[in-house]
This record gives sequence, structure tokens and C-alpha cells, in this order.
Amino acid sequence: MAVERFPRADTAPRQDKGDAPSARPPRKPFSWAWVGVAPFFLFAFMFLFLPSVSIFLRSFESLDHTFTFQNILDIFQKSDIRNAYKLSLQISTVTAIGGAFFGFLLAYAVCMGGLPKGARSFLLTFSGVASNFAGVPLAFAFVATMGNAGLVTRIIEGSTGVDIHAGGFTIYNFWGLSIVYMYFQFPLMVLIMAPALDGLRREWREACENLGGGTYHYWRYIAFPILMPTLLGTAILLFGNAFGAYATAYAFTGSFLNLVTIVIGAQIQGDVLYNPGLGNAMALGMIVIMSLCMLVYIWSQRRAARWVR
Amino acid sequence: MAFLDINHASKAFGEMSAVHDFDLHVEKGELVSFLGPSGCGKTTTLRMVAGFEMPTNGTIVLNGKDITNQSPNERDVGMVFQAYALFPNMTVGDNVGFGLKIAKKTKDEIAQRVQEMLSLIKMPELGDRYPYQLSGGQQQRVALARALAIQPQVLLLDEPLSALDAKIRVELRYEIRRIQQQLRITTIYVTHDQEEALTLSDRVVVMNAGRIEQIGPPFELYNFPTTPFVASFVGTLNQLRCKIMDAAAGRLSLDGQEFRTTSPVVAGRGGDALVMLRPEELHLGSQEGANHLKGIVESVAFLGSVVRIHVKLGSSIVTLDALNERNLKLPKTGESLVVSFPPHGCWVMAGE
Amino acid sequence: MRRFPIWSWVWLLIGLAYFFIPLASTLEFSLRMIKGRYTFEAYRVAFQDPRFYQSFGYSLLWAVLTIIISLLLVVPTAYWVQLKLPKVRPYVEFVTLMPFVVPAVVLTFGLVRTYGHPPLVLTTTPAALIVGYVVLSLPYMYRSVDSGLRAVDIRTLTEAAQSLGAGWGTIMKDVIFPNLRVALLSGVFLTFAIVMGEFTFAALMGWPAFGPYIEEIGAMRAYTPQAVSVMSFLITWGSIMLIQWVGRGGRGEVQISGAR
Repeated sequence: MAVERFPRADTAPRQDKGDAPSARPPRKPFSWAWVGVAPFFLFAFMFLFLPSVSIFLRSFESLDHTFTFQNILDIFQKSDIRNAYKLSLQISTVTAIGGAFFGFLLAYAVCMGGLPKGARSFLLTFSGVASNFAGVPLAFAFVATMGNAGLVTRIIEGSTGVDIHAGGFTIYNFWGLSIVYMYFQFPLMVLIMAPALDGLRREWREACENLGGGTYHYWRYIAFPILMPTLLGTAILLFGNAFGAYATAYAFTGSFLNLVTIVIGAQIQGDVLYNPGLGNAMALGMIVIMSLCMLVYIWSQRRAARWVR
Repeated sequence: MAFLDINHASKAFGEMSAVHDFDLHVEKGELVSFLGPSGCGKTTTLRMVAGFEMPTNGTIVLNGKDITNQSPNERDVGMVFQAYALFPNMTVGDNVGFGLKIAKKTKDEIAQRVQEMLSLIKMPELGDRYPYQLSGGQQQRVALARALAIQPQVLLLDEPLSALDAKIRVELRYEIRRIQQQLRITTIYVTHDQEEALTLSDRVVVMNAGRIEQIGPPFELYNFPTTPFVASFVGTLNQLRCKIMDAAAGRLSLDGQEFRTTSPVVAGRGGDALVMLRPEELHLGSQEGANHLKGIVESVAFLGSVVRIHVKLGSSIVTLDALNERNLKLPKTGESLVVSFPPHGCWVMAGE
Repeated sequence: MRRFPIWSWVWLLIGLAYFFIPLASTLEFSLRMIKGRYTFEAYRVAFQDPRFYQSFGYSLLWAVLTIIISLLLVVPTAYWVQLKLPKVRPYVEFVTLMPFVVPAVVLTFGLVRTYGHPPLVLTTTPAALIVGYVVLSLPYMYRSVDSGLRAVDIRTLTEAAQSLGAGWGTIMKDVIFPNLRVALLSGVFLTFAIVMGEFTFAALMGWPAFGPYIEEIGAMRAYTPQAVSVMSFLITWGSIMLIQWVGRGGRGEVQISGAR
């Protein structure tokens, strides 16, 4: 509107598409909105972005403060670093798959498995609690369960006479920690899958039956394909969850299991690697892996949303 | 025995009876509508035919075979759902061919039948689209094609047009009828929209509170309803409480004004007769041989092809529908006028 | 009609067993301080330790500070994004995803390096710790407030109020906050639960919070750590119950948190 633009040229630097529905002319209040969100972004810049940049930059810093790729290479070349990543990736994969599998079955059981309605809300509430009960107290809870003087240990010993710790068996290892991780992994799966299962409309099942299909056909051609993006996305979420866990691992297995997070934690408390640059590189490696997880998760969410409209 | 027999079917959910003693015999190739308000049991009955509900009493026999206890995937019926229920993860083509895939037909057979169906619903190039890329009307057509692809003996439609805009509804209504007649497929159509039921059906089953009120062709239901519910549910209806002057001669009086009817006169409660009169039977002005009543215009609404005038006759207000004409002079509110209707245009019903 | 859902019951029972056995074990363990009988001795010992109250008090204080800062950051942002700046939304959501991408350990690493040296030294004060807590709570706080705003269609409500002549003060007080109460409380309780149980930031930055305290006594003693774990669990459970209770009648969106 050329006629309009002339007098307004100085007050309308650009088209305010973000404003309320009607095409009101931009006025002062518009700038208040930016003031409103500025603190948030300032905080994010200072305390998320800058530290991340610092990690990134110092990954390339050698012991004598010159630029180097060696730290990054060390991740692949130094066997103990490589093993740390391998271990972390392993435990993340195992608990992601286990948590996804078991969590899905549980969600299915209470949503569509013919159980009374109360079971569902009870399970969801408890999953909400369990998925938040992580870290140190959880580790101790499992010590009290399966440790040397644990309840389950004593029950087994009392009923079968077998001391499961006799032959050097210990729960303070990879598999023991996996079991502990599962405590917050599969509730998370339940919490995300339950609404997804609810989204499976009854009519789809009925249409399938009407066209001659049975349970197999329904799950193979309709339900699983529809659920797959959510399943995958949540599994990735579980993976990232386990990968980034520190407190639980530290409290349960201490430094016995050389997970990436444990190593980085040790590095913070004392320069155990004798190479700050390497520490940064390991942290950077974590960021990269978590970012990949996030990307897959976002992709899966988009995919899932597209179909179920 | 007809093609599809629903014999005295009932369905109760615990204490509540949703359908009671539903008895219907559908001929091959017929389109029968179940018409009624929400909760009248029409969808429940349809679902019994489809197999999603089991009747508590009664049997369902299709083409001589008792299917009452068969599971839905064994029956030879095709169903179109109100919410389309297209599988969102499959293309249109895959949706339509799904039933054939389950029946283990060859790829070529499936492809050919899918093409046939898509042509039938006039969407031949949309086979590769996904449901979320289609409009509501298109999705419903695909749902129809999907149900027909398996060549069922009976087609069931559960309020298929309720979720669509008015204009699409009218278009699609004719499409469905056209396809049904072309394929000569026995069809049951559930709706709460009486215009739909009247337009499409060979016969209509009017239901209320789980029971059948009346079964018949649209013309019969409209002009010769057997119960007050059917009379008032189907179409607009004037119900006038009149004094009986002479039952044998058919003379009645509405607030002092006398008129005649050729229908048998039956007294309701309190000795009055309930006279039913369709709006289109009333005319403005006098006519030879007709009944004449004087009244005052309450309101005039111009509906396009019809002009709807509310006239106060004594203490009652009647609705009069006149066909629009370009040189029609619309009466004004408060104007007094004479309305006329033929003696055979009204009938007397026993009261509630 | 339908077969008895035996497998559903099996999975449910296994799931419930998995949840409850560790809890029961912890409780049982915590009652066995004195040989031969069940007693609350471990709890008594725990309550006698002055460091218990100290660390709990610190965590409580820091939780409150975290909640305040988090609210101040999130609420105006969520509000303005909904109302005036929808284009900014993707950036805000990106920021709320960052805490997942930069886990606590990694963030601590970066924070210590960036703010452990001049020009801006924060690590000698609890500020760095609180910063970490705020970052941790951001996603949940934002998600909570955002869905709360969306659920009440804040834009339409604001416009309706404006057309009836209300000023911004009235709008904030009588329209926005009452409708947001549930969402805000959910975010608050969850943040509280998270901070009280947090270990990583506090331990690695060397602050005497409740989390490190539990770990410390766990390394040194028996029975008392389990007693404190039971208490920690009750705090978490209580917070979630409170969230459910204030959110009753509305859409029950269960809040999820991650591993720590």
C-alpha cells in the first residue's frame, strides 16, 4: 500500500508478522515483547551457549596451548578413552532396548490389554514417580535389594540356601548398573507410549477386521507402522538418558565402571587425564552424540505427528 | 426370507436396553436407511450386522447363512465409518487394496481392482496420496472404495457424511446413491439427517429409543406416518388441537373456526382431536373446495425456494410453506389473511 | 467374549514387582540398624546428624532460589512467545532441548572452565550451582507453562479482556495467573523434587547439598543412607502427588524428568 507507507516509514522498520491477528500498525508495545524474552536468551547465551563453546574451543587446545586435532584423535586412538565410550554406548544401548521393550509391553498391558481401568492410572502415576527417582538414592535402594546384605539376597539365601555372592558374584558391574538404569528407563517409555497407544483409534482396528484382517494383520500393517516413529524416538531418548547419566553410576559402581561421564567427572575434580584438552574433547564427544540423538528424536516426532492428525 | 434378515434382534448393555426387538428384512439391492435421533440404537444395530456387537437376543441371517455369532473378519460385509478410519500410514491405493491383500490375492489382481475402485469413486490419479493429503470428502470416498473393493454382500455406512461440510455432503450423497445403484449392492445407511434418509433410500426405518417406529418408503413415511414420533421427526409438522363437531362427517373446529377432513376422526385425551397438517398443504388466499381459516401473520422467513410464514390462528401458530415466485407479494407481520388447505391434506392422529 | 488377559497381568505384575521390590528393600534395610529387630534407629541417627539439617537446609534454599529464577525467566518468555512472538518459538524450544544435549556433567565442565576464571568468577559462590539447577529445570518449567498457556488460549482471553477495557495489571492478575496456577505449581513441584535430589552439579562443584550428603554417608555408614533414601523417595513421591493433586480435573500431563 504505497499511499500508507509514506507517513509510516519511520515507525515501521519491518512488517510485524508476529503481531496479533489484525494488521494493526506497529507501535511501542512491540518492543516490550523483546524485553520480555531477552533475559531468557541472555541466560541461555551465558550459561548454555558459552560453556559449550568453551568446551568446543578447548578441545583443540594442546598442553602447550597450541591448536591441535590430537585430542579428538585420542578419543579414537587411546584405548582407555575408546573403551570408556564403548562402555557408555553399550550400557545406553542395552538399557534403551530393554527399557523400550519392557516399557512398551507394560504400556500395552494397561492401555489395551484388557486390564481394569484403575491399573492404568496407577501405573502411570507410579511411572511418573519412578522416572524421577534416579541418582544416589536409587543406587542405595538397589544396594539394599541385591547387595551383600540385601533383602532379595537374604530371601534367596533363606529359601534355597544359596549365597549368590559366594562365588565372587557381584552386582556392582555392567549388568548390575543396567538393572539400576532400567528403573527409570522403562517408566519413561510407559509415560510416552501410553498416550501414543491411546492415539490408535478404535476404528482402525474395526476397519481392519471388517476387511478380513485379524490381530496379526492389524499389528503388522497398521499399528506398528504407525507407532514406529514414536517407538524409535523414545528409544533414542532412553539412549541419551542413559548416556548422560552420572549420579546413579557414581553412587552405584563408583569408578569401577569407566563410563564417559565418570571420566569427565573425575577430570573435573582433578586432572586425571593430565590433559585438559582431552577432557574437553571427551565432553565435546558427548555433546555430539547427544545432539545426534536429539536430531533423530525430533525427526521421529515430526514423522509421528504427520500421520496421526 | 429376504437377502438380509435381522430377526427380532435385541442388544442390552447391562441394565440398559439399547435395541429392542428389531425386526427387518432387506431385499437384495435395496438401500435401507436407519433414521433417528442420537441414542436411538441405529448405530448399535448396524454394528450388530457388522459383527462388532453381539445381539443379546435374535439372529442375523445373510443370504441364507446365520452370521449372528461370526466374528467381524469372517463376515462378508463392508463398512464405512463416520470418521473415515483410513489407515494413515498407507497410501490411498494401499488402503483400498488392504482387504484384498489380506485375502491373499495376487499383486496384479489387487492393482487392477484398486484401479477399478478408484475410477468408480472418480479419483483415478490419487492412488499414491496419503490420507492426510486429502480433504474430508475425498477421504470418505476412499473409505467407500476400500469397503467395496472386497465385493461384500452388504455395504454398511455409519453416518458417513456427518463430519463433512454441507455442500460436500449433498454432492457425496448423490455419489453414494449412484454407486450403490450401479453396483446393485444391498446397503444399510445410518443417519440422523432426515433429508439424507428421504433422498437416498428405497425404504427408511425410523427408530426411537431402541425400537422401530415405522418402516416404509420415504413418501409413505412422510405422508402417512403411523406414530406421532414419525410424524414430527420426519419433516416439519403442524399439530393442532381441535374440537370434534361431527366425527362421522369429519367436521372439526379450531378455536371457533370450522373445517373438514376426509381422514377418520379419532378422539384423543380430553375428547379433542390432534390434527396433523404439513406446511406445504397450506396456501395463501382462498381456493375452491378447500377449508378456509382466518389468521394474522406472526413472522415471515425467506428461505430461498420456500417462503415460510408463521400464521396465528386463534391460539395456535401454524407454519405455512409457500413456493417462491418472482411476483410473489410477501405478507407483512401483523397482516390478517386467509389460509386454505384441502380436506384430504390433513389427518387426525390419536393423541400422545 | 474375550480371553482372560493373562499376559497383561503377567507384565503388570512383573512391572510392579520391579518398582516395589527396591523400595521395600530399602525400607526394610533402613529398619534393621539394631540387630534382631525392626526399629527406627537409623532414622534417629540420621536426624541427629547436624549435617543432615545443614545440607537439607542448603538444598531447600537453593531450590527456592532456582524456582524463583526459573519462573522469572520462563513465564514472561512463554507468555510473549504465545502472544506476540510466535516466530521466536523454535529458538526457545531449541534452548529447552539443550539441557538434554548438554548433560549435567558436561555442563559442569563448561561452567567451571568459563566461570571459574576471571573475568567473571561464579564458581566460588553458589551462583554457579543455581545456574546449573535452573538449566536443569528449564525444560520442565517451560513445557509446563507453555502447555498451560495453550490450554487456556491465552491470546483470545487477553483480547477479550482488552476489549472489555482491562489494563495489563488486571489482565495479569485476574486472567493469566489464575489460569496458569496449575501449570506453575506443576513446574514448581517438579523443580523442587529435582533440586532436592540433585547430585552431579553439587558434588562436582563442591557444595554441601543434600545429594552429596547422602552419597557421603553412604560411603561411610550402613542403614542410615537407606533411611535417608527412603526420605528422599518420599519427597519425590510427595512432589509428584502434589502435582497430580493440583492438576486434578484438568488434562493430567505427567511430567517426566531424566537420568541423573
